[in-house]
Amino acid sequence: MQLFRQFEAGIDRGIGRRRLGYVVLGLIILFFLWFPNDSSQSNYAKTVFISGFFYAIMSSSWALLAGIAGQFSFGHMAFMGIGAYVAGLVARDGFVFVMLGIAITPESFSALGAIIIGTLVAGLVGLVIGWLLLRLRAAYLALFTIAFSELFRIIMLTEYDYTGGSNGLSLRPLLQIADVDTARQVEYYLMFALLIVCLLVMHWVANSPIGLFLRAMREDEDAASALGVNVVRYKILIFVFTSMIVGLAGAIFYSDVGSERIIPEQLEVLQMSLIIAYAVIGGMESLIGAAAGAFISRYMLEAMREVVITLPFGLTTADGGDAFVWETGAWRFALFGVVMVFTLRYMRNGLLYPFITWFSSRDLAMKETVSKREDDDEDIAQPMEADDE
Amino acid sequence: MSDINLELNKISKRFGGNQAVDHVSFSVTKPELIGMIGPNGAGKTTLTNVLSGMLKPSSGTIYLNGKRIDGHPAYDVTRAGLGRTFQITRALGRMTVMENMLVPGLALKPNARKSDLEERAHEILGLLTIEHLTYEYSRALSGGQRKLLELGRLLMLDPSVIILDEPFAGVHPRLQETIYQYIFRVHEDGKAIILISHDMGAVFELSQRLLVLHHGALIADGAPQTVKNDPAVIDAYLGHDEDDEHA
Repeated sequence: MQLFRQFEAGIDRGIGRRRLGYVVLGLIILFFLWFPNDSSQSNYAKTVFISGFFYAIMSSSWALLAGIAGQFSFGHMAFMGIGAYVAGLVARDGFVFVMLGIAITPESFSALGAIIIGTLVAGLVGLVIGWLLLRLRAAYLALFTIAFSELFRIIMLTEYDYTGGSNGLSLRPLLQIADVDTARQVEYYLMFALLIVCLLVMHWVANSPIGLFLRAMREDEDAASALGVNVVRYKILIFVFTSMIVGLAGAIFYSDVGSERIIPEQLEVLQMSLIIAYAVIGGMESLIGAAAGAFISRYMLEAMREVVITLPFGLTTADGGDAFVWETGAWRFALFGVVMVFTLRYMRNGLLYPFITWFSSRDLAMKETVSKREDDDEDIAQPMEADDE
Repeated sequence: MSDINLELNKISKRFGGNQAVDHVSFSVTKPELIGMIGPNGAGKTTLTNVLSGMLKPSSGTIYLNGKRIDGHPAYDVTRAGLGRTFQITRALGRMTVMENMLVPGLALKPNARKSDLEERAHEILGLLTIEHLTYEYSRALSGGQRKLLELGRLLMLDPSVIILDEPFAGVHPRLQETIYQYIFRVHEDGKAIILISHDMGAVFELSQRLLVLHHGALIADGAPQTVKNDPAVIDAYLGHDEDDEHA
C-alpha cells in the first residue's frame, strides 16, 4: 500500500494521472491496431474481437441511455434488430410505395445505402417509442420496452416469408473481398473504427450540455424541468440517438462483417440481459467502462468455452492424459453471473470504476473538497446530523 | 406598462373529489416580498406546483411578465421567469455542486461560455458560503447545504419571480442566517419573492404582504399585522369551538 501511495505521488508530481490515462488509452488502441497484423492470430480470434467490438458499441450506447440518461430500456437489441432487418429487407426487396404506385427495386440500393436506411428507420422507431415512453419511468419503462422487444422478435419469427423466420435473414454483404484472411482483417478494422467513432460521438454528447441535461433528468426529471431543461425533447433525442447507433451497428455487423445473418434468437430478452450485464460489470455510468466491460466479458466467455486444467504431481486422467479438459457449456455463464452478483453487491459503479476515477483525478478533487468541508463544518457537524437524510 | 409580474385569475386545481386549490386570485408586483401561509393541506404546495408548471390547473389563468403560462410545461415557465425551490430539497445527487449550478445556467443560456457560467456559479456559491463544496457530489451535502444549493441554482436562473417553499425547514440556525441574507439580497435586486413557510416568526419578519390559504381558498391577503388579526385567519389556525357553533 505504501509503495502504491509512493507511486501515486510520483505520478501526480510527474506526468499527472489524466495524461497517464491518455497514454494507457493510446497503448490500448495501438494494441488493437496491431492485433490483426500478428500472423500468429487465427481468424477465429479476430472474429471474437469483431464480436467484442460490436457488443462494446451495444453496451456503451446502453450505458449512455440507461446509465447517463436514466432510461432503463430493454429495447436496445430490438432497435439493433430493426437496423439489421430493415437493411436486409431493403437490399433484398427494395421499397414499394403502393399508394404512389412507385417501386424502388433492390438494385437501387448498395449495401451501404441499405445500412443507412436501416439506421434511419431504427431512429424513426426510436422517436415513436421515445414519445410513447414519455410518461413512463423506472419499472414501467423497463416493462414497456421488454414488451416492445418481444413483439418485434415474434413478428420477425412469424413473418417467415419476409424475414426467414428462425433461419434468419441474410443481409447484402458490405464488403466483397475474395481472400478470407484479408476479408477478416478489413472487417476487423471496420468494426474497430465503428466502435471508436461511436465512442467519440457518444463521449462528445455525454460531455456536452446535452449530457449534463441527461444526467439531471436521470437524477430527477421534475427538478430538471424546474431548472429549465426541456425533458421531453432530451428524452426523445436520446432514444433516437442511441437507436440510430445500435441500428447502424446491427446493420453493419450483420452485413457479413461479424455475422452473415440476423436471427430472431439474437433479439431475445436473454441477449438484452447480457448487454446490460456487460455494462454493469464495466460501469454503466461510463462509456469506456461499459465498452471495456463488454469486450472483456465477450472475450472471457469465449476463452472459457474449454478450460484445460493440467494435473499436478504426475496424476493422469482415466484415459491416460495429463490434463483435464472441461467443456464449460452453460457453466461459463454461471460464473459470469457470480461476477455480476459481486459487482452489484460490492462495486455498483462497475469493476473498472476505480481505474477510471483514478485516471480522471476525480478522487483527488473529492478528497480535497471533503477535507475542506470537514474543517468548515466542524462546529456545526453535530446539529446538522438531524438534517441529513 | 403594468408593474405586475405574476397574475393569477381564479386558479383551481381538483384531484378527483378533492378541491386542492379553489379559485385563487392574486397578483405580485416587483419587488414584493410576500409570505404565503396556511395549515397543512391548505393547498400551498399544490398552488406552487400549478404556478411552476408541474401541474396543470383545472381552471383559471396565470400570466407571468405578460405571458400566459397556465398549462405550460415547467421548463417553459422557468424560462419565462419563475423559479422555485422544493419543500423537500431536490438536489441532483450524483452530480457535483458545480454541475447542479451549470444545469440552469446552460438550459437558459445555451450559447453562454461555460467558463463565464462557472465564474458566476463560483460567485454565487461564495455568497451562499458553500464554495468549498463546488466539486463535491451534492448527495454528500447536509440538508441545510442542499437548501443553499437550491437557492444558488435559482440565482443562476435569474428569475423575476421566486417561490421559496419552506426554505428554513430543518436548517441549522447558522445556515438559516445565510438564507435570510439571501432573501434580503435577492429582494434588493428587485425580484418578487413568495415565501412559503411554517416558521411564522420568519414569515412575519420578512414579508411585506401575507397570503393565507385554507382548504385551497385564499382567505386573506394584506399587510401581516392586518392579516394576523383577521378572524377568518384566526379561525383557520385555531379552529372552531364546536360549542360556539351550536350556540
